[in-house]
Amino acid sequence: MNRFYSTPRSEVKRKSKDRFFSVVCILIAGLVVLTLLTLLGSIGATGSSWLNWDFLFAEHREDNPEQSGIGQAIFGSVVLCGLCAALALPIGVGTAILLEEFQPRNRVLRWLHWLVQLNINNLAGVPSIVYGILGVTAFVYMFNWFPSITPNDPPSWEIGATHIYQVKTLGGQYVKFVCPDKNESALRVTEPIEAFDDAGNTFMINVVQSRGDAPGDPVLKNRTVLNGKLTSRYSEKTWYHLHLPFGKTVLSSGLTLALVILPIIIIASQEAIRSVPDSLREAALGMGATRWEAVRNVVLPAATPGFMTGAILAMSRAVGEAAPVLAVMGGVMGTTNGLTNLMDKSPVLPVLIYKWAGDENAGFENLSAAAIIVLLLMLLVMNSFAVWLRNRYEKKLA
Amino acid sequence: MKRYLRTLPVIALVLGLSIGCEKPAGPTSSAGGSSSGSATTGGSSSAAPNSSLKGNVVIEGSSTVEPISLKAKEEFKNKFSAVNVSVSGQGTGNGFKALAKGECDVSDASRPIKGKELKLCQEAGIKFYEIPVAYDGLTIVVNKKNDFVESLTVDQLKKIFREDMAAKTWKEIDDSWPDKQITIFAPGIASGTHDYFIEVIGKKDNKGMRSDNQTTKSEDDKTLVTGVKQDETAIGFFGYSYFEANKDELKAVPIVNPKSGEAVTPSIETIESGEYAPFSRPLLIYANAENYERAEVQEFVDFYVANAAMLAKEARYVALPQSIYDAARKNIDEGKTGTHFLDAEGEKRAGGVTSIFVPENLGE
Repeated sequence: MNRFYSTPRSEVKRKSKDRFFSVVCILIAGLVVLTLLTLLGSIGATGSSWLNWDFLFAEHREDNPEQSGIGQAIFGSVVLCGLCAALALPIGVGTAILLEEFQPRNRVLRWLHWLVQLNINNLAGVPSIVYGILGVTAFVYMFNWFPSITPNDPPSWEIGATHIYQVKTLGGQYVKFVCPDKNESALRVTEPIEAFDDAGNTFMINVVQSRGDAPGDPVLKNRTVLNGKLTSRYSEKTWYHLHLPFGKTVLSSGLTLALVILPIIIIASQEAIRSVPDSLREAALGMGATRWEAVRNVVLPAATPGFMTGAILAMSRAVGEAAPVLAVMGGVMGTTNGLTNLMDKSPVLPVLIYKWAGDENAGFENLSAAAIIVLLLMLLVMNSFAVWLRNRYEKKLA
Repeated sequence: MKRYLRTLPVIALVLGLSIGCEKPAGPTSSAGGSSSGSATTGGSSSAAPNSSLKGNVVIEGSSTVEPISLKAKEEFKNKFSAVNVSVSGQGTGNGFKALAKGECDVSDASRPIKGKELKLCQEAGIKFYEIPVAYDGLTIVVNKKNDFVESLTVDQLKKIFREDMAAKTWKEIDDSWPDKQITIFAPGIASGTHDYFIEVIGKKDNKGMRSDNQTTKSEDDKTLVTGVKQDETAIGFFGYSYFEANKDELKAVPIVNPKSGEAVTPSIETIESGEYAPFSRPLLIYANAENYERAEVQEFVDFYVANAAMLAKEARYVALPQSIYDAARKNIDEGKTGTHFLDAEGEKRAGGVTSIFVPENLGE
C-alpha cells in the first residue's frame, strides 16, 4: 500500500526529472526554431535588397543579374499549380470517398481495397524524382504509342494549331500563306499565290527571276519573292493547343506533379472523411437516404474544410518541387514568348532557383535568395489560406 | 462536391484569362529588351526588330554552352522578336540523344560528337552542321598564397591527378617544393570537364582520376573554387570562365606547352592563339540540317554563326579565330554536313580545333 504514496524525497526527484525533460524539449524546439531563423535571416539578408517590382516581372537575362527577374517563373509556377489542382483534386477526393465510404464486403474486393490502400500509403513516401522518370515515360513519350514530338513535323494528333507557310520576301519581311497539306514540310514558290502579312492584308505574291527585278517600292518589295524560294512551315497556336504525346511541356510537368501530390491528397481527404462522426452518417441512413445521398449531403459538406486544407498543403508541395519538373521539362530558364499554351515550355520558381544558385556569375546567388523569399511568401500565403479556411468552415458546422 | 464542381470552371476561366493576358505583355518586355540589348551589341541590331518571322527554335544540350545559347536567344530577340527560342541545358550527352531523335533543332555540346552518337544519328537519318562557337580553356588553379608552383608540365599533372601515381606531397613532384600534403579539388565524373582532363592525362594509358582521402570531387564548380581558396596547399581545375569570375582570389598555374616547351598562363589571348595547350577545348553547336530549312531555324543559326565571337565573349568564353566561323559558314552554304572530329574508323582526331576543323577532315 505504501508504495502508492510517494515520499517527499521521491517527489522532488520526480519533479526535477519533469523539469529536466521540459527543458530538453524546449532546447530541442529552440534549436529547430533557431536553425530556421538563421536560414531565413541569411536568405533575407542576401536576397531582400534585390526584391523589387522589376525583379517580379522581368525574365532571366544571361550574365546580367541586375536585369533578371522571375516574371515568367512565377507565371509558370501558378499555371503548373492550377493544372495540378484541376487534375489531382477531383481524382484524389473521389478516391478517398471510394476508399472510405464504399468499402466492399466481398472478400476479393476487400483484398483489392487493402492493396490499393497499402499502395497509396507507400506512394506518399516515394521520392519525387521517381515520379519524374515515370512522367517522362507516361506523358512526355506516352510509352512511344505515338511518334515523338519533333520541331520539324506536326504531331500525329493535335488541336488548336494552324499550319502556315512563311517565305522571305525581297524586302526582308516574311509573308504567310495557309498550308494546303499539313504533311508537306516545305515547298518552293514558283508562281503567284495568295498570301497575307501580319497586318492582315491579303495580296498575290509577285515572283521574279532575279534580285535585279525587285520593285523599288518597299511595300511591293515586301510582296515579291525570288522564283524557287523555299518556304517553310510553322504553326500558329491558340491557347488551348494540345498534341499527343504531350512532349517536354508544361502539361507533362503538371500531370507529373499531380501524380506526386495525389497520394498526399488522398490520405488527407481520407483523414477528413474519417473525422466526420458516424452518428451523422447513421442519422442520414436512418432517415432513408441512400449511401450516395448520405455521402453527398452529409459527409462531403462536413469534410470539405479538411479536403481544402489537405489540397492546399499538397499544392504548396507541388509549387516547391524542382526534381520532377527538371526531369520532364529540363532546366528551362526562359522562353522568348513566354507561356502561351500548355504545350509550351516554361521556367518555374524552384527550377530557376536551382539554376541560379549554381550560376557562375555570383550575382545570381543573391537573386536565388530573393526568389526563395518570393517562393516562401507564396507558400506562407497558401498555408495561411488553408488555416483560415479550416477555421472558418469548422465554426460554421458547429 | 458541388462546391468543387462550381470552382472548376472558375479555375479554368482564371487559367484562360491569365494565358490570354500574357500575350500583350510580350511586345512591351521585348521593347525594353531591345533598348538595353542594342546598347551592348552596337550596330548589328540598330534596326527595329522584325516581327514577321514566326515559329519555334528548340535548343538542348550542354550546360557549359548554355550561356552562349542564352545570349544568342536574347540578342536574336532584338532582330526577330516573334520567334520563340527555348534553351535547356541537360548535358552534352542528352543533347546528342535529342539531336538523334530529331527532338531539337540545335544541340549544344562541350565536346565533339562521339562515334556512338554519330552512329545513332546516321541510323535515324539525321544530318547536321557542326559549328564550333568558342574555346574553353581548362584552368589549373592553386591557392593565392602558394608561391612555389610557378608552372606545371603535363607529366607533373599526371603525377598529381592520376590514380596510378597519386602523389602524396608536393615534394614528390619537385624536390625543391615543400614537403606538404597535396589537397585536390576536381570536377566529378559526370562533368564534361572531368572527361576532357582525363583525356589529356590518362586516356592513352587507360588510367582515371585518383579518388582517395586527399581528393574532393564535386559537380558544383563553386565547391572547387571555395576549396582551393581556403586550402594553402590545394590544387584544382575547372573551366576558364569560372576562373575569370574568381581571378582575384585564385592563381592560375602556367602549363608547359608540350610542343614549344614554354610555360603559358591561360588568358583570352593565349587560349585564342592556341599557345595554351593542351587544355583548351572547343565548344560547339550541332544544327539539324533538315530543320535548318525552316526559316526561323535558318535565321537563328545564321545569326549565331555570324555573331559567335561576340556571343562567346559575352558569355565569358574565348572567341575562336574568324577563319573557323567562316569555315562553318561555308559548310552550311554548301550543305556539307557531318563531323570533322572523327576519322573514318570513328576515332577522335588529336590536335587543336584549328588543325582539325578543315574541309578534308569532314566526314558524314
